[in-house]
Amino acid sequence: MKVLLVIAWRNIWRHPSRSGVLLAAVVVGLWAGVIAVGAMNGMTRQRIDYLIESEIAHVQIHNPEFLAEGQPCLFIENHWEITAKLDREARIKSHTMRTIVDGMLRSPIKTSGVRMRGIDIRTETETTTFHENIVAGEYLDSETRNAAIVGQSLARDHNLRIGNRIVLTFEDLNRQLTSASFNIVGLFESASADFDRRNLFLRSDDLNAVLGDRPVYHEIAIMLTDETLASELVADLNRRFGHIQAQSWRQLSPELNVLVEIGDLMLFIVTMIIMLALAFGILNTMLMALFERMREIGMLLSIGMSRKRVFAMILLESLALTVIGAFLGIFLGWGSILHLGKVGINLERFACGIAEIGWDTVIYPFMSPADYASVAALVVLVTLFASTYPACKAIRINPLDAAKDT
Amino acid sequence: MPIVATEKLCKTYNPDTVPVHALRQVSIAIEPGEFTSIVGPSGSGKTTLLNMIGGLDKPTSGRVLVDNVDLTAMKDSHLIDFRLRNIGFVFQHYNLIPVFTAYENVSFLMLLQKRGRQEMHRRTNELLDAVGLGGRKHARPREMSGGQQQRVAVARALASEPKFILADEPTANLDSDSAMNLLGIMSRMNREKNVTFVFSTHDPRVIKRARRVITLVDGAVDQDQPQN
Repeated sequence: MKVLLVIAWRNIWRHPSRSGVLLAAVVVGLWAGVIAVGAMNGMTRQRIDYLIESEIAHVQIHNPEFLAEGQPCLFIENHWEITAKLDREARIKSHTMRTIVDGMLRSPIKTSGVRMRGIDIRTETETTTFHENIVAGEYLDSETRNAAIVGQSLARDHNLRIGNRIVLTFEDLNRQLTSASFNIVGLFESASADFDRRNLFLRSDDLNAVLGDRPVYHEIAIMLTDETLASELVADLNRRFGHIQAQSWRQLSPELNVLVEIGDLMLFIVTMIIMLALAFGILNTMLMALFERMREIGMLLSIGMSRKRVFAMILLESLALTVIGAFLGIFLGWGSILHLGKVGINLERFACGIAEIGWDTVIYPFMSPADYASVAALVVLVTLFASTYPACKAIRINPLDAAKDT
Repeated sequence: MPIVATEKLCKTYNPDTVPVHALRQVSIAIEPGEFTSIVGPSGSGKTTLLNMIGGLDKPTSGRVLVDNVDLTAMKDSHLIDFRLRNIGFVFQHYNLIPVFTAYENVSFLMLLQKRGRQEMHRRTNELLDAVGLGGRKHARPREMSGGQQQRVAVARALASEPKFILADEPTANLDSDSAMNLLGIMSRMNREKNVTFVFSTHDPRVIKRARRVITLVDGAVDQDQPQN
């Protein structure tokens, strides 16, 4: 093995410029690939983190029929039992209860359907970053009675301003239509204009006062200490409480799952393009090297080097070259990701459109150790695959070629 | 008992289209310690016969026996191993491994034979000294003259302690002095170490040094004469 490694290593440097070009291509290709993959990872992760942190949270609990029916009477029964359990859970960072009612918003110029979200200011602030979305006025901690904050899009559609009064009509717990007026104290802007147009936020106490004779909650949002514990906690809660439905963010927001899948698909495509280019580079270089060394390989077979060893020699040559290139490329990529992960890549100048749909224009690339390991393993596999053809050609060389004139 | 024997060896190229009879019923026997030259005009079948004896090519009919082992019945993978342990090769174009030094080229076969490090080191130095290249151990082929490269090739062929050495036109690419020097070395190895050499050549100076000359004409043995 050692002698094969020595031959392989020296053969690589027989034509330094040719090997250097392939090496440079591998280094640059992997470096660029790592940054591209890292940027896509970062973009997807930032988007998911934003939606989880600002609204969805890691896990939500509802009455099993609430998500489909949306009726106010489908609240979570015995919510105190559940919150008592959540308070004792080490896996949970924080949780908050929400009262949710669908109804109509009537303003002087039009009427539209909205979802009213009654929140507890203290626990909501501990659990989500929604309060950071306030772009004008105050949050619900305002002293104004029956305070409401509405989305900027909704305010624009209804020509509403801070200080305006709106009338909300909805079904109460006794299934009777009821109306109440609320005062706009602030405007918010989330990542989605559609969400802003269909949702408004109230204090849960104010909403419950109109809704019925006792406070009810339709949603408990839970933030975990570690996102990966979501499925485990969901299973535990569903097992422990038969009358509720706990769901993870992946179940609650299939579009985020789609985002993850699209991200994975893009990573796969980018990686495959890089690997395909790498495979053809290796194939080309090794075939050129092989055609130049037909007589030499014929001689090796003549004097007694087994075909297995010749095969291994060609594979080792390709591997040695690409593993060095991959190591350098991944190392450079790792350094770049480390730096860009801190300072970010500002895309504002090139992609202002993505800001309008709520995506960050500053991307913080990210690669997990598993991602690096996958890239490295893929390089080795692609190299072995690409050099199999030249290696097979090499072992089919006739030893008589050693005696030929050319 | 002969170290190499061929029995009614025939080789026909393109048997189905335009048959070319490279060897016709060649039967020869080479005893240990011989210094035999195979001569003949171009196309007479010298190289083909050497390739058959070296197990590099298969005959159309007939047998090649090396130390009483039939090479024609052997599988390719066994033949490679057999060559490694029993046959030394010297090629017209030297065919050294260009990325190896003289020392590494000579020790390479011993590495393949998995010999001990000390034995390999001792024998490589002995052989390089024997071919007069003890001072050029670390030179690579491109840093050596043709004659020096061919002397390394002879040392490499001897390194595996083969039963015999096949040399196809070993002096064809050498100038007179280098050719005579090489022949002197081969002849000395034959006399002193009883190494068996079988070589093909056109060169009258080489033929003169041989102790047996087998002449091929049109693929058949025309003459087989000992020389003094």
